[in-house]
Amino acid sequence: MVGVNRSLYALICLIFVFQLSDGRSATGQDFPSSGSTAGTRVSLPPQLEKLLAEGGVPKSLDELRILEKQQQLVANLAAKCTVSVQIGSAQGCGVIVSDTGYILTAAHVAMRPNKTAVIKLSDGRIVTATTRGLYRSVDAGLIKINAGQDGGAGWPHATLGDSDHLKPGMWCLASGHPGGYDRGRGPVTRVGRILGVEEDKLVTDCALIGGDSGGPLFDIEGRLIAVHSRIGNDVADNLHIPINHYDVHWKRLAEGQSWGYLDGFKPMLGVSGNQSTGVAEILRVAAGSPADDAGFRQGDVVRRFGDVAITDFSSLTKAVSDTMPGERVEVWLSRNNQSLRIVVEIGRME
Amino acid sequence: MLGRSSFILVFSLVFGFLTAGEMLCAQDSQVQRTQTQQTQPEKSQFQREKRRGSRAPEWLRRGYTVRTSSRRDNSEMVQLVEPITKTTSRSVIQVLSDGKIVSLGTIVSADGYALTKRSELSADPIRVRMHDDQVLSARVAAVGRANDLALLKIDGDFDFTAVKFDSTIPPVGSFLISSGRTGRPIGIGSMGVLPRRIEHNGRLGVVLREGSDGRAWVYEVWRDSGADDAGIEPEDRIIAVNGQEVYTSESVIQKLGRLFPGEVAQLTILRSGSMMEMNAGIRELGILQETENDSRVNGSRSKRLSGFDQVLQHDTVLKPDECGGPLLDLNGRVIGLNIARAGRVVSYALPSSLILPEMIRLLEQARNADR
Repeated sequence: MVGVNRSLYALICLIFVFQLSDGRSATGQDFPSSGSTAGTRVSLPPQLEKLLAEGGVPKSLDELRILEKQQQLVANLAAKCTVSVQIGSAQGCGVIVSDTGYILTAAHVAMRPNKTAVIKLSDGRIVTATTRGLYRSVDAGLIKINAGQDGGAGWPHATLGDSDHLKPGMWCLASGHPGGYDRGRGPVTRVGRILGVEEDKLVTDCALIGGDSGGPLFDIEGRLIAVHSRIGNDVADNLHIPINHYDVHWKRLAEGQSWGYLDGFKPMLGVSGNQSTGVAEILRVAAGSPADDAGFRQGDVVRRFGDVAITDFSSLTKAVSDTMPGERVEVWLSRNNQSLRIVVEIGRME
Repeated sequence: MLGRSSFILVFSLVFGFLTAGEMLCAQDSQVQRTQTQQTQPEKSQFQREKRRGSRAPEWLRRGYTVRTSSRRDNSEMVQLVEPITKTTSRSVIQVLSDGKIVSLGTIVSADGYALTKRSELSADPIRVRMHDDQVLSARVAAVGRANDLALLKIDGDFDFTAVKFDSTIPPVGSFLISSGRTGRPIGIGSMGVLPRRIEHNGRLGVVLREGSDGRAWVYEVWRDSGADDAGIEPEDRIIAVNGQEVYTSESVIQKLGRLFPGEVAQLTILRSGSMMEMNAGIRELGILQETENDSRVNGSRSKRLSGFDQVLQHDTVLKPDECGGPLLDLNGRVIGLNIARAGRVVSYALPSSLILPEMIRLLEQARNADR
């Protein structure tokens, strides 16, 4: 799949153009304790046990109605822990997973560690949060709500599931803010089935669109099994990050590390320089590259890249690797002893 | 429109990171269609031909077989819910406008009236295909502009069977089944959002400025807008909208704002000293602003997808010409009427609580006029 997917999928967060454990998982014990408040788990009627374990089509309309009742219960709880995440000009979703305020999201929504995010809950509360780590290879990101904003009550949160035993044909329920946060509407529920299970992604027919990135996917028992990431053109091509990636890498994510890159979305600037000199001097600008388009020249010394002070070429390399293709970044340069500011749109490594 | 131009900027949204690869995408959907429409032999023969030339490897195509076979609206699911939609088998019609299929319709009375989506009825003659394949002629007997409804009167001696609307509002997460002609399920989806009002987002597609005399003039014309297609040019003065005089940009905006997407504005224009009349379509802002990538992921959408007093939002994948038919819950109650395909994740239906009073009003109006 890998070679094909690369060129097929679009990430589904929105950019406003006006400006620049006691986890149930089998694989790790690192998920935070979900704490005192109740999660999203809904007890399962015995008639649905086979559907939960194996997926498939209900045997009768009566069984379909029992499934429907279960979906209604999960949808109600799912909405409470689904949040809108806004960071700068970009907007996506997240799902709260602990009463202490950890939020799982997509890496391309969180963008970089230590950024400030504005979180909107479906009950109308607006709080601030700080981005933590990003495991970009699967598009997993972590955010934590800043302390002291819950009035001591704990945050409504999802019950964590296990993505290791998922099968095509299983039923699932997606929540999120398609098209962006809309106060008069709130989160939107979608019901579908798992169509494909791979190590690094789930495919479902829960239709997603821009703004849904980072939102939750639940199983019919109300357990969080995945987080929305990206879409293809077909309405049944919706990709989600399996939940266990967050568990396995919990420590690094919580520490605020960012690493890897998503296949097909590796950021590229298009300059080369000397790793060992004490400054980030551009020795060559690749013709037709984003740097070329933005007006970088040989001999320019990069001083600042977005929010990051650049000390040498390797710090520039790291700063570029923390961006996403399509992102517009302000860069300050020294050229002939003069200071210069240019804006570059980050490209994609082919 | 002037006042709104800043609003448009602030609310303009684009996808973060868009990908190339149109060709591969096209191939994939090709493959998928082959597998979902195996009932059409000539077509699949054609598609098999296409597929031989496809670069998609065999294992990938197999992958798609698995994927389509477990979709929520696969053939097994359709079979399961068919008894539910069969209750409407004699009540759903297909509507043809100038020979083209434009929508479905729902029969609402024994004397031959049916509701459908008004903005799709662009041209005469109107004909309808009944459950038994008979094609009868029809006419628009009454119009409910506010919610894009048209009441059709079907001619002919026919045993019309009306549906019974039920004002139940299913909870979010409920299954919703859409009925096609002959009562076959055309889509299975779920309730996404409880009923709410959707303000209309119609635009003519001009940016206005005011001259020193205070009269509005056209500063800019959006590409591919109704104004563009009608031939409106920068510096045109808009003198009247639908025969009513306008002067300031505010008065122009106010008059245009009363028109819904899919409707036509009759404009009186002053251009280099001479007056001219023009008809320009009002179009959906969302569609006017749509990028190529947006339109690929959204698929085709209704001409009018905003401007409803109340709609319930569901995620059933419908084609624009599948609006106008009944929407059922799992108990077989007709809880609404599909009114718009609004995007990749959104179909809208008018809830029965809105349909019922509208239906009574339109029937009264039509029968009084026919008397």
